[in-house]
Amino acid sequence: MQFKRYWTLIFFSLSLSVHAGRQAFNDREVPRDLDDLREIQAALQRNLERTRSATVCLQLKTGSGSAVIVSEDGLLLTAAHVTGRVDEEIKVIMEDGRELKGRSLGLNSETDSAMFQLEGEGPFPYVEVNKDDDSRLGDWVFSLGHSGGFDRGRGVNVRVGRLVKLGESTIQSDCLLIGGDSGGPLFNMEGELIGIHSRVGPSREESWHVPMREFQSHWDELLSGEFIGDGDFAQRAVPGSGFLGILVEVSEEGGLEVAELFPGGVAEEAGIKVGDRILEVNGQQATQEGLDAELAKLGVGEQLKLKWVSGEETKEDDLKLGERP
Amino acid sequence: MKMIFYILLLGWPLTASSLPSELRKNGELIQDVLAPVQVSLQESSAVFFNDEDSRPFLYGTVVGEGGFILTKASELDEVPNFHLRVGTKKYRSPQVISRNDTWDLALVKIEAKGLRKVEMGRLTGELAHGTWIVSNGAAERRFRRVRPGIISANRREIPGGSPAVFGVTLREEEEGLFIRSVTVESGADKAGLKEGDQVLKIAEVEVKGRDGFVEKLRGKSPGDRVALKVKRGEEVLDFQVELLARHKLYQEVLSRNDVLSGGWAHISPRRKGFPVVIQHETALTRRSVGGPVFTLEGVFVGMNIAAVNRVEVFAIPAEELVGVLGEMMPKIGP
Repeated sequence: MQFKRYWTLIFFSLSLSVHAGRQAFNDREVPRDLDDLREIQAALQRNLERTRSATVCLQLKTGSGSAVIVSEDGLLLTAAHVTGRVDEEIKVIMEDGRELKGRSLGLNSETDSAMFQLEGEGPFPYVEVNKDDDSRLGDWVFSLGHSGGFDRGRGVNVRVGRLVKLGESTIQSDCLLIGGDSGGPLFNMEGELIGIHSRVGPSREESWHVPMREFQSHWDELLSGEFIGDGDFAQRAVPGSGFLGILVEVSEEGGLEVAELFPGGVAEEAGIKVGDRILEVNGQQATQEGLDAELAKLGVGEQLKLKWVSGEETKEDDLKLGERP
Repeated sequence: MKMIFYILLLGWPLTASSLPSELRKNGELIQDVLAPVQVSLQESSAVFFNDEDSRPFLYGTVVGEGGFILTKASELDEVPNFHLRVGTKKYRSPQVISRNDTWDLALVKIEAKGLRKVEMGRLTGELAHGTWIVSNGAAERRFRRVRPGIISANRREIPGGSPAVFGVTLREEEEGLFIRSVTVESGADKAGLKEGDQVLKIAEVEVKGRDGFVEKLRGKSPGDRVALKVKRGEEVLDFQVELLARHKLYQEVLSRNDVLSGGWAHISPRRKGFPVVIQHETALTRRSVGGPVFTLEGVFVGMNIAAVNRVEVFAIPAEELVGVLGEMMPKIGP
């Protein structure tokens, strides 16, 4: 008996020093009884209202993903394969059905992390990021997301599980995920964001998330809108793929005169009219060769700065190139 | 032994690179923790076995001590001959005594006495998101495995249209009601109805509008036959049309998420059209629905009715079952 108590004591003193401040159920290999499970449930439920209200659906042209708000003024974290590009306008739907707009910031195509900024007046509901990187294998976690797209009646889908693998740039849980959850949040039982849903493995209980440390180590680049890496989660714009939708002739007055516009193209949408005269392309005097050379460098979604004369007015704008029809 | 256990416990979170499978959410050691609830599952759930291959294909919920089992009708329709087990006992020649197609329920009777039925009528409106619930996992011959999950979304109606369909679209005109189109392979198609036929009577009653037509189909089951009198040109013709299950006639095209969920082998083909459901995230398949859902306290809160996809399962709330069951149970004389 004496011996047993001795070991118990060592265990507890060590566990206190190693896992200070951790929830008791996370320091148990398995829950001892139903009460331990109830504690997990209580912790999850304490954090559910706030975390749900900060979990949004990103409505893309080709489908939908999820994201989570991490600041009062509407900064979101999501997955690179959800936003796909930098500086892309995307519709956002909150759990209560409110529709907002936002713009993608930077992304890391190698680890599947991305940032996104909501437009409009805050304050927005948001969650805390786990900055201490103190998650352990076996920790109980919960996952939120707009599985399969936004569903007002259903709301955000909640799932529970444990951390089953911890890698350098990816972590695995046994929370179940499905299409539409991508970019959604994984929380520890204190309601802190620890990961962003990225992909699922061949078995049902194999879900992979981008850990917060990945976001933290590239925070400033992501915030400034950089496209990082050459990984598989997002493709860089292919040079020359961008489409302006304009046909020009050399003007006798100098610059380029607009001869034809592609209906619904980027140039027409920007308000350029047939007969307008382009003065500058990306700050350089407009020539046919100069315009061609600039366009050859740019891909879909990238910007071209134009200055042109329309009637009496001189206008200037950044035009975002579209897809070639 | 205790000592070694503690040492392992201490070393485990610091050294292991992957959580052993028995410790995961659906692992055996978590199932052991749920042993107190397993007792309820063991006694109050039935397992349906296909006579052909002796494989389990569906669960049931014990709703009457005298051998009454509630289960999912559309799955039972797929298997012509079956037997079942309640607890550890095997029961041959069960009889389907009634069904309700709005909820996709079938009531099965076995020769048994003193079964442990689930306690109905508990209000599930208070089941908050995140509440632990347990369902039947894999079925072994004598032992029911427990599978944990949590309430994962809002309680709500799942729209889906009438469960038994005729197979026509209609056109209302001043002169009357006409068949606009006939679905290939439907009961209407097989009976010989044609586009342009004017509907005079359905089930012996005159109809003038679409609403009257639909009204006559309410409460009908797949397999029921409905009489239709139509005018084609100058002829008046009579037809007997067999109603088909909506989910079979208009089978959904699998979405990407459905494929990711294992396709029709894993998801329930009849997963739409329920007046109200509670949703949870237990890892079940179409073969593991039909059984009861309990809280950690062993309180019966619902019956699993559809494996929707890999993250969503629907259950009929317990208090809804009270009224439905009242209609399905045989009436006992005064």
